[in-house]
Amino acid sequence: MRIFRILYFKELKTYFLTPFGWLILSFAALMQGLILSTTLKGFSDEAQSESLVFLNFNSPLFWFYFLFLFPVLTMRLFSEENRSGTLEGLLTAPVRTWQVVLSKYFAAYTAFAFLWIPAFVHFELFTILTDVPAPFSNGELYGAIMAIMLMGALFTAFGCLASALTSSQIIAGVVCVAILFVHFLLGSVTTIFGSQIAAAPLFDFVSSQMHLRDFTRGLVDSRPIIYYLSTSAFVIFLTYHLLDYRRWKP
Amino acid sequence: MQLVNSHTSASQSHSTDSTLKIRMIEISSLSKSYGRHKAVDKISFEVAPGDIVGFLGPNGAGKTTTLRMLTGFLPPTSGAARIAGKDIFRESLEVRKRIGYMPENVPLYTEMRVKEYLRFRGALRGLSGGRLRKRMGEVMETCGLSDVRRKMIKTLSKGYRQRVGLADALIHEPDLLILDEPTNGLDPNQIRAIRKLIQNLGEKHTILLSTHILSEVEMTCNKVVIIDGGKVKAADSPENLVRSMRRAGRVTIELQAPRAEVEPVISNFDEVTRVVSESLKDGWNRFNVFAAPNTDTRLKLGNLAAEKHWPLRSLSRRVGTLEEVFVELTRKD
Repeated sequence: MRIFRILYFKELKTYFLTPFGWLILSFAALMQGLILSTTLKGFSDEAQSESLVFLNFNSPLFWFYFLFLFPVLTMRLFSEENRSGTLEGLLTAPVRTWQVVLSKYFAAYTAFAFLWIPAFVHFELFTILTDVPAPFSNGELYGAIMAIMLMGALFTAFGCLASALTSSQIIAGVVCVAILFVHFLLGSVTTIFGSQIAAAPLFDFVSSQMHLRDFTRGLVDSRPIIYYLSTSAFVIFLTYHLLDYRRWKP
Repeated sequence: MQLVNSHTSASQSHSTDSTLKIRMIEISSLSKSYGRHKAVDKISFEVAPGDIVGFLGPNGAGKTTTLRMLTGFLPPTSGAARIAGKDIFRESLEVRKRIGYMPENVPLYTEMRVKEYLRFRGALRGLSGGRLRKRMGEVMETCGLSDVRRKMIKTLSKGYRQRVGLADALIHEPDLLILDEPTNGLDPNQIRAIRKLIQNLGEKHTILLSTHILSEVEMTCNKVVIIDGGKVKAADSPENLVRSMRRAGRVTIELQAPRAEVEPVISNFDEVTRVVSESLKDGWNRFNVFAAPNTDTRLKLGNLAAEKHWPLRSLSRRVGTLEEVFVELTRKD
């Protein structure tokens, strides 16, 4: 646990003690603000049947930037250690491979979680700054945060996997985007082809768009929770073995 | 071949002497294959505590692969090795606590400051609090890093980075230091400084260092292991290696006597295998006497010249260098 903590804080420092992390944070805050003001403009133009939280997180702009946060956060994690050779120094210290993998994963996940502080503050501010009753309920807001954290867990794991695959940050980033894009498309299959096809329930089951829609309505379902947590664990497990590839390659 | 034979018999007698004593490194038929290519092929050697061992071999001989197996970075394909009595594969973590390893080209986190980096690496090795601070101060002192402690590693020169790598390897006071080409890419002054540092460290630590610079090995190491093509070609002290190399017994003598008369007499000596003579321009004759290694025919030749009243002006035995041993053992022809 001690080793994990040391590695975790070392990783966290590279997010918070460099301009890099703050750049992502400001980009995320900018996009969140932009989406919120666009959604609010919709409210002022005409009456809306859905809540502010729902419209905010289901706007097309959301996916446009959300999927790009992960490659930026994770592409460096393993590929850079691989390229510069520091992995050799790290893994010849009395450190277990799983400690390295988990510390990097959780550091990236922590950085990801930080990116949502502005969004959360926006919604809290709405009730404080305006005298109109908030056009959303707390259940919807917490549902939205939960959905984002769950998706973040899986997508960060995908990013780690992509980064452990290669020693080039760029390739890691591209692979991560590709995986996330395929995942996104799988979730859109029923929207495109309709839910008449035989595999529709399967596509719906993995559809992050669908999950987000439910959660932002305040419908918290246990099936997606288990889906995200177990898949994340599996992807991290793959990352672990990828990092240990030199041990079992023929 | 002769060298290898003499080595195996020497090491066998050594191992029976010291079966009770714990050996720092004990490698037995360790192999590593990358696909079909055998990078390391059943190598075996031992290192006693306190030794400074030079690990030599041409590029691609398997040096780095061997060191990576010892440090637990690569698993061996077959064979075993123990460090301070611990198996490198089954007790990898225990082994790693006991070694300080400086990989080839010294990879470091370049965006960290020197002090920060050493604190991180020390903490990973289980140091904390006052003990960590004390050790950081000591290694920075030993490696001459005190005046750059606050600098980012990326701004440091190659020589300083090498020292940071060495400080990193030393911070937890390991029993064994494994250095992969510690002087690679340094200028002569820096090489001298690092060599001095290694010599000083050798008083307290066992050191296994791989290098190409043979003069360095002659100056610092008390044991040499030469590998080529993944196999151990020789393992002995530098003096023994030099003494037993093929050309080491060669003696050159310059006499003022007819070549036809001298040659048969010298050829009759037991240890002499061949005599090649040549006439010099000034009327003297030079005889190159090829003799078995580990022999010295100088005294006999001197007595012979005196006996026969042949004027003698030069008599010398060839002093071999480690470089010649290295070339002899690893030449591809």
